[in-house]
Amino acid sequence: MKILKAFFDSQRRHFGKGGKFERLHPFFESIESIFFASAQVTEAVPHVRDSLDVKRYMALVIFALLPHLFFGMYNAGYQSQLATGQPLSLIPVVIRGLWIVMPLVIVSYVVGFFWEIIFAVVRKHEISEGLFVSAMLFPLILPPTLPLWQAALGISFGIVIGKEIFGGTGRNFLNPALTGRAFLYFAYPAQNSGDVWTAMGTGSAALIDSFTSATPLAIAAATESGGVEQVLMDKGYTLSKLFFGLYPDSIGASSTFLCIIGGTFLMVIGVASYRIIFGDIIGMLFMGVLLNLFAASTSMPYLSLNPLYHLLIGGSAFGIAYMTTDPVSAPDMNGARWVYGFFIGALTVLIRVFNPAFPEGIMLAILFMNLFAPLLDHIEIKLRLRRRIPNV
Amino acid sequence: MVPVHLKKGYRLRIAGAPSPQSSGLTKPAHVAAVPERIPFVKPRLRVKVNDRVQVGSLLFEDKRNPDIQFLSPGGGKVVKIGLGPRRVIQEIVIELDEEESFRELQAFSESDLEAADGKDIVQAIIEGGLWPLIRMLPFRDWPDPKTTPPYVFVTVGNLEPFHPRPEIFLNGREDLFRFGVKILNRLTDGQVYVGASQRDDVVISEFEDLITHTYRGDYPAHDAGVLLYHTKSAPSDNRTWYIDAQDLLLLAELLQTGRYPTRRTVVLAGSMANQRQHYQTRIGVPLRHLMEDRAEEGDIRCIAGGILTGYTSSKDSFLGIFETGLNLLPAGNEREVLASFQPGFRKPSYSRTFLSAFNRGDFVMNCNIHGGVRACIACNHCPDVCPVDILPQLTYKCILVEAVEESLAHGLLDCVECGLCSYVCPSKIELLDTLRNAKAAYYKEQA
Repeated sequence: MKILKAFFDSQRRHFGKGGKFERLHPFFESIESIFFASAQVTEAVPHVRDSLDVKRYMALVIFALLPHLFFGMYNAGYQSQLATGQPLSLIPVVIRGLWIVMPLVIVSYVVGFFWEIIFAVVRKHEISEGLFVSAMLFPLILPPTLPLWQAALGISFGIVIGKEIFGGTGRNFLNPALTGRAFLYFAYPAQNSGDVWTAMGTGSAALIDSFTSATPLAIAAATESGGVEQVLMDKGYTLSKLFFGLYPDSIGASSTFLCIIGGTFLMVIGVASYRIIFGDIIGMLFMGVLLNLFAASTSMPYLSLNPLYHLLIGGSAFGIAYMTTDPVSAPDMNGARWVYGFFIGALTVLIRVFNPAFPEGIMLAILFMNLFAPLLDHIEIKLRLRRRIPNV
Repeated sequence: MVPVHLKKGYRLRIAGAPSPQSSGLTKPAHVAAVPERIPFVKPRLRVKVNDRVQVGSLLFEDKRNPDIQFLSPGGGKVVKIGLGPRRVIQEIVIELDEEESFRELQAFSESDLEAADGKDIVQAIIEGGLWPLIRMLPFRDWPDPKTTPPYVFVTVGNLEPFHPRPEIFLNGREDLFRFGVKILNRLTDGQVYVGASQRDDVVISEFEDLITHTYRGDYPAHDAGVLLYHTKSAPSDNRTWYIDAQDLLLLAELLQTGRYPTRRTVVLAGSMANQRQHYQTRIGVPLRHLMEDRAEEGDIRCIAGGILTGYTSSKDSFLGIFETGLNLLPAGNEREVLASFQPGFRKPSYSRTFLSAFNRGDFVMNCNIHGGVRACIACNHCPDVCPVDILPQLTYKCILVEAVEESLAHGLLDCVECGLCSYVCPSKIELLDTLRNAKAAYYKEQA
């Protein structure tokens, strides 16, 4: 630490007033403040302040996401090795997974950080830590086969259009990671939907015959007769497989198990709103049950899917735990948060079942409700202010 | 008794509470009036350096209404008039004589009080220089003496860290307190409400007949604004007057003896003080006199008043008329290593993001800001602590876009300026400062 301190102390003059890199001060500050907190003392009352800062707030989200990153590496490697008939022991799988996932993560961070620094320098403010969460979430919801230039383009769109043009973290109304993902989805459908969920080796062994890379969502949407549960079972998607997430899907979003752990952790420490999460789940189950009631023997089998399956398949659990709970793009008010969650859950199921173009509904459901968050807030605030005894 | 239960609010888990022990201090060589720290007042000096003054001589008056006078807390010679930036009058220092002389003012016996005209009592308080001890909500300036309030609140005790405990400053002065409540009864056509903490058994049993409200809950449940917010039934109640119990003792002493009172019970507290307890001393006591030999070595922030709302002072300053505590905290002006990434078993936080959530103890807090300023991330901590159900983060945004009407609709004027919103904010936004300035600006515009 002493060496590090000496290093920062020696470099500070370059970034200070009149230094060579004066304009890059936000960059220097953001790196330094990771190791050494500011010595700034309070100027206005109150004299003491809480130990929690945004840095820790965001770091805790990243902490909760790390298991997803590790699992994502393992899963991506595993599916790749499986598809190409190569050994499935731990080490080769992890090396393969690292090779697939790390470039996406690194591109996401480097490009995201690049934009953040540019905006911080131009606007002369410090770098906000929200970026580190967005840049971690983004690769986790990508297909493992995505070309790196598309990942760079996606995170650029997410950070710049989804966040920075509105003023940066705290002023955005859309979830930046999902904005970037949605952009890729619509701009480059070929690389972002369909058969993209298993990374093959470059030029190595050909696909083995028996392999299918259809995701549970694709199977569910394509089922024409018989129960969806049974079809999934036939294709090897047992309940436990769906729960633990070892199947071809976006990199880090498939494991419902890890989402429960991470989501619970974030709820317990108060970083994620339990109102949104339970709202999501209630909405999802409600719509699932409602569709069950509409289902008849002649209607499509997706309608009669056991509602709990909606929580298991695809990225819904991941979206619920980490995307809907982004406090900035969610409503501020507690009541509005229940409504917001409920509609996200319900819309997810609706989009999944009725729109064959979008197998995964939660991305669009969240972005859609992001747009409605200010309205929900507005309604609740109006109602709440009406109860006050006026004081003017 | 009306019970008021504050469910929000927050008790700061801060180490350095004073013991209930109380002892007298020796007579200081100097005392001072500190006009700088009296809100809203525009002082016009009425003394010069080297003037001789008695206890109760006129020092300065308020330019906004020259009838409102501020009197000398000591007898002797004016030795210094400290001027700050833009010639703000910081302090008027008086070197005390061995034997101080008193200016004689009008005294009232209990029967005089009953018989006297209400206007005469008001006049006596104004001439006695203590009218500003009575404050009017929501702006907390002294009220116009020509008006009468819907009620007067007397608040017994202060839950902010750290202030004197009521059972200590009321000890032996119970009759004076009763006399004070009688004075207030003559000032209003409405009721005099006395609010005390449900936990203060001593106070409650002693003044059972006087106490009308009992509060329960964390800081700032004691505040008149909070008591009013949770009991008011109509907008006309908003302009309620209030006075702190210890200030009421001064008022009572003034009218009972006909002399300007000087006695004050103060606490020395905070983790950098090593003899933390109550002290009997005078109004305007020098901080050095109070903290000498009683503070740790090191970089100290001296706070005149409470830790959440008091004033940063130099050691050469004095306790003003409203300040009943001197809190000493570590300055915290050093860079902490990996501050945001520690488990934090000893890091105080309102949130549950540190292991300190499992630690039931109190923590040493310093004056570091603990993070960089960021935009609001809607963590919702501030509305969760706000004692008067304001949405501080949204009211703050209203103020930033200068939507005055909207900020008022959000209850800006209900704000009791407790400082909890700024305390809990992880984005380190100066919520209290913004809200308070907006309130003051609105007040000045109205006047």
